[in-house]
Amino acid sequence: MNQLMFFSLSPLLIVSFGTVLSLLLIAWRRSQKLILVFSLIIFSVAFICCCSLIVNLADPVQITQLIKVDNYAIFAFMMVLVASMVVALLSSSWLTHSVEVHDEFYILLQLVVLGAGILVASDHFASLFLGFELLSISLVGMVGYSRDNQYSVESSFKYLILSASASSFMLLGIAFIYSQSGSLSFASDLFAMEHVANEGSNQFYHAGLLLFLVGIAFKLSLAPFHLWTPDVYQGAPTPVTLLLATVSKVAMFIILMKFWFSQSAFLTTENSMTSVGNLISTFAILSMLIGNALALKQQNIKRLLAYSSIAHMGYLLIVLMIVFPQGMDLAWQSVLFYLCAYVLATLSLFMALQLSQAKGVEMDMHVSDWQGMFWHSRLLALLIITAILSLAGIPLTMGFIGKFYILNVAVQAQQWWLIASLIIGSGIGLFYYLRIIFVLFEGVNEGENSSGLSFTISPSAKVAAVLSIATGLVLGVFPDFLTKLIFIL
Amino acid sequence: MSAIPLSHILILACTLFTIGFIGVIVRKNTLFILMSLEVMLNAVGVAFIGAGSVWQQADGQVMFILILTLAAAEVALGLALLIQMQRRFNSLDIDLLSKLKG
Repeated sequence: MNQLMFFSLSPLLIVSFGTVLSLLLIAWRRSQKLILVFSLIIFSVAFICCCSLIVNLADPVQITQLIKVDNYAIFAFMMVLVASMVVALLSSSWLTHSVEVHDEFYILLQLVVLGAGILVASDHFASLFLGFELLSISLVGMVGYSRDNQYSVESSFKYLILSASASSFMLLGIAFIYSQSGSLSFASDLFAMEHVANEGSNQFYHAGLLLFLVGIAFKLSLAPFHLWTPDVYQGAPTPVTLLLATVSKVAMFIILMKFWFSQSAFLTTENSMTSVGNLISTFAILSMLIGNALALKQQNIKRLLAYSSIAHMGYLLIVLMIVFPQGMDLAWQSVLFYLCAYVLATLSLFMALQLSQAKGVEMDMHVSDWQGMFWHSRLLALLIITAILSLAGIPLTMGFIGKFYILNVAVQAQQWWLIASLIIGSGIGLFYYLRIIFVLFEGVNEGENSSGLSFTISPSAKVAAVLSIATGLVLGVFPDFLTKLIFIL
Repeated sequence: MSAIPLSHILILACTLFTIGFIGVIVRKNTLFILMSLEVMLNAVGVAFIGAGSVWQQADGQVMFILILTLAAAEVALGLALLIQMQRRFNSLDIDLLSKLKG
């Protein structure tokens, strides 16, 4: 382990060391403020490490067989860290309602971040498996965290059973791939594939690939495996839903990209590319259409966002369809830009949702609860509007640029069916996105007492809201800032 | 002793896995669902150990130890949720958990 390896592994080391330290901290003194500040410090130190790595790291660094740190992984980890800082801040306001001290929640949050970090940096099926399970098992604990919520047992049980079956499907797939290729690392599969291809078509290898993709598709909640998403989103506490929607999705998508691109060089020359490729495009088309169509009738905000996230993952899958290796850089850039836009919009929406929720009550928020919000709390309404426009892909927001990138990739890959369903899906999407904006501007009923409607927003939340509105707009008008950063990678 | 061909091991693992999966789908009692999940994970373990011994590598066995750890963590969470469910509903019937719809 030389110095470069140590340096490039430092963000992960900091988070894992921090987790151990926070366990010690709990043994010393149980205080919610202390642990909150401590986790924020861990995340920000790791973030600073990532920043310096991105500037200084030129080539990918392979650390043993298990982990490969490259700039894409670091950039994705930065997104994860930002999202989890927001989650920590939001959950601090939510957790103060009950008397207990909630140290464990922050430990689980740190473990989720660690799992996501391992996942985005992994280059081997063993580390993929470790990161994957660290992420999902801690998330199960967080989904069922609030014991007084009526839905908590149900949603966490659903999540536990379904995610455990999905991960055993994925593991069986890995076992099949290993049994045929004799290696667990992504990269050396290439040599094995040559060997397998010479022997003729190998059913176990393809079955393994299929099972592996099913496991990943479940986690990304792609269309035939999306059924758990709305239920878990609705039942989980709002900050945890935010975590599910951002951190888990970003990490899973990045690892899917890494796996796919390490294989695709071989898959293109072979017949299996067409069958696996067809599978991926079926997932994509189904997710875009089903996600958007089911969101149309939703009144519950969390369920609506769940369906819209299904559709967004469908859009992102298009990027996997590039067939020539030169397009790989463009594909990475478009994925990272799109994920940035998606994470920022989701963060702002959930922030608004948490702030507008009545204090102390974990109730279902419906779209009609936001009625007339523009007239009594401007800032929150503006936050929601910019986020919604970005998700819908209206020009002058980040979402538009992201969608433009994806269309660009799709045209280069000549995937006309995918483009058609992207356009149809976005068209359907406009309907329910714009409905939320109309609701925001509707007049408040005079009969109802509006005392429950005025939200008290803390100054720090105000700063965060202004910051995310400004970032969304500035990067939407001048996307160059971000693309230049990503192009350096 | 003649070596067992790889395909036999994989077919055995597949059969076990299917039994476990059918158990997860068919069973109504949550405790039995958790047990069927264990069957699925152990089927994967059989496949890994078989593949590892065919390739003469330790990787398969290492993966099996990781899977055991996962199974333990999963059961710990599952049983905690089970106790909560028993307290709240006085029953372990999975059909009681059907409030979230739409």
